[in-house]
Amino acid sequence: MKKLRVIWDTLKLQMKNSFVRPMFRFCLIANPIVNTVLIYEMFKNSGQENFTTYVILGAGLMGLWACICFSSAGDINRERYSGTLSLIFATPADFSTIIFGKILGNTILSLATLALSFLTAKILYNAPFQIASPGYLLLSLLATVVCFITISTVIAYLLTLSRKTQLYMNCIEIPIILACGFVFPVEILPAWVRPISYALSPTWAIKLMRMSIAGINNPAQYFTTFGILAGLTAIYVLLSSLLYQVIDRQVRIKATLEVS
Amino acid sequence: MSAVIEVSDLKREYISSKGWIRRKKEIIKAVDGITFDVKKGEIFGLLGQNGAGKTTTIKMLITLLAPTAGVCKVLGADTFGGEKFIRRRINFIFGGEMGVYRRLSARDNLKYFSNLYYIDGAVAEKRIAEILELVGLADKADLLVETYSKGMIQRLQIAQGLINDPEIIFMDEPTVGLDPLGARMLREIIKKLKAQGKTVMLTTHYMFEADELCDRIAIINKGRLVALGTPEELKRGVHGLSSLEIALANSTDALLNRIKAIEGVKSVTAAGVEKGTAITVKYLSDVDVSGRTLDILRDEKIYSFSRKELTLEDAYIQLVEKAQ
Repeated sequence: MKKLRVIWDTLKLQMKNSFVRPMFRFCLIANPIVNTVLIYEMFKNSGQENFTTYVILGAGLMGLWACICFSSAGDINRERYSGTLSLIFATPADFSTIIFGKILGNTILSLATLALSFLTAKILYNAPFQIASPGYLLLSLLATVVCFITISTVIAYLLTLSRKTQLYMNCIEIPIILACGFVFPVEILPAWVRPISYALSPTWAIKLMRMSIAGINNPAQYFTTFGILAGLTAIYVLLSSLLYQVIDRQVRIKATLEVS
Repeated sequence: MSAVIEVSDLKREYISSKGWIRRKKEIIKAVDGITFDVKKGEIFGLLGQNGAGKTTTIKMLITLLAPTAGVCKVLGADTFGGEKFIRRRINFIFGGEMGVYRRLSARDNLKYFSNLYYIDGAVAEKRIAEILELVGLADKADLLVETYSKGMIQRLQIAQGLINDPEIIFMDEPTVGLDPLGARMLREIIKKLKAQGKTVMLTTHYMFEADELCDRIAIINKGRLVALGTPEELKRGVHGLSSLEIALANSTDALLNRIKAIEGVKSVTAAGVEKGTAITVKYLSDVDVSGRTLDILRDEKIYSFSRKELTLEDAYIQLVEKAQ
């Protein structure tokens, strides 16, 4: 119960803090609109049948990922520089619970990018967008949220260990968009890149969403993909749990909670 | 009284690396084998120059830093390993303008931290109202912190440090940048905390503050303990000079020579002033010469007579300079 209160309060605090930052508002509002326009123009003569799916999902997920990169990850640095990171770390509440609340708040807020991307495509281009399997899409969306929360947790923990957070979060934004196939199928990537793509859980989350929009003709294929995503997410959860044990000690040994 | 803080041969090193190809490691000894303990209900001061190791020591005690070696215990638990037990029972205040969420109100900051300290809703609400009143922020509690002055932010930090009604409170230069009223308010709060049986560990650069508040003081220099004792013990422990400032209607060389002859007097100087003569008598702090000086001056017209004792600052400077 106490943990739930910490999560709920942190989530509210995070949403408040994030939304008042211009950079976050840019990522949340401008980013999906601009990306939708750019990707639509790029795809409109591609001859691909379901290109709107790629446009809306791609632009929306790019916005979602940008929000996560510059918030869930960037927040560690912001808190470090404002002197609150060490304060929250030294409270009786588990640091992992606080981080979870922050990431949950950001991810929920960032889901607006998907809606904005859809609205942009609809209003500006009257783009056709039909969801063949809405039930599956809802399940896929839920799985995507869980997937993004776990990957954000791993990243946030890693960034707690270093003061070079700003640099790292800039470095990971675009490679993840490309490697996970946000705007094109990962199958067109070079063979040597694909193992990296398949090891990243968002790749499978995006596959699930695309399958749901196109229609599930083969539930076995859908649930196989879902199983892979669940397996990868479980590995990430395990990894983040192990990582937490390490960072809880290492940040105090290496003195990275603050800037001197 | 039992010791609630035990520090023995405590060391903390920082390792910094330089260079790209051949990385050179440099070890900086921030705390180099200090030993002291703090008893329950004590106000314990930690004094030292910038970079002496005061903040590093406090950070180890509040579970934010791991010691490199030595014993570092709070309420009987190791600060590295026993943090779950310690964190509920302590809190800390760092000076400056950091450590608050500026886009929240003071009340929301306190509510958030009360949740992180697992304080029940009703208890937290009552305590927040009391603390806001105590630090003089009650009427501004619902304004965003980003609209606060530096002093108000520091008052909020103090409030945050009291939110869990801690058994031990650590304060690292808490009055830096506070206006005189704010600084006095904090000193009163510290005295109240002591009256409630709380233990306070404090670092400050203001010697009068340490002298007024602390039961015992540890002076550290370059990570090493230089002196430990009550403010009076520290002052007595150094051979300083106190002085008498006397304003007389008239003075003669014979009079000055008689004062100079008193045991313990080191120098006597006289200067003509608008109304007579101002005499300064410097004497060893551990002897009292004022009685005998007054005897010599009993037939003279004295306008004023004041004694300037050796201060903690004098003792501190001597101890630190000796350790350099």
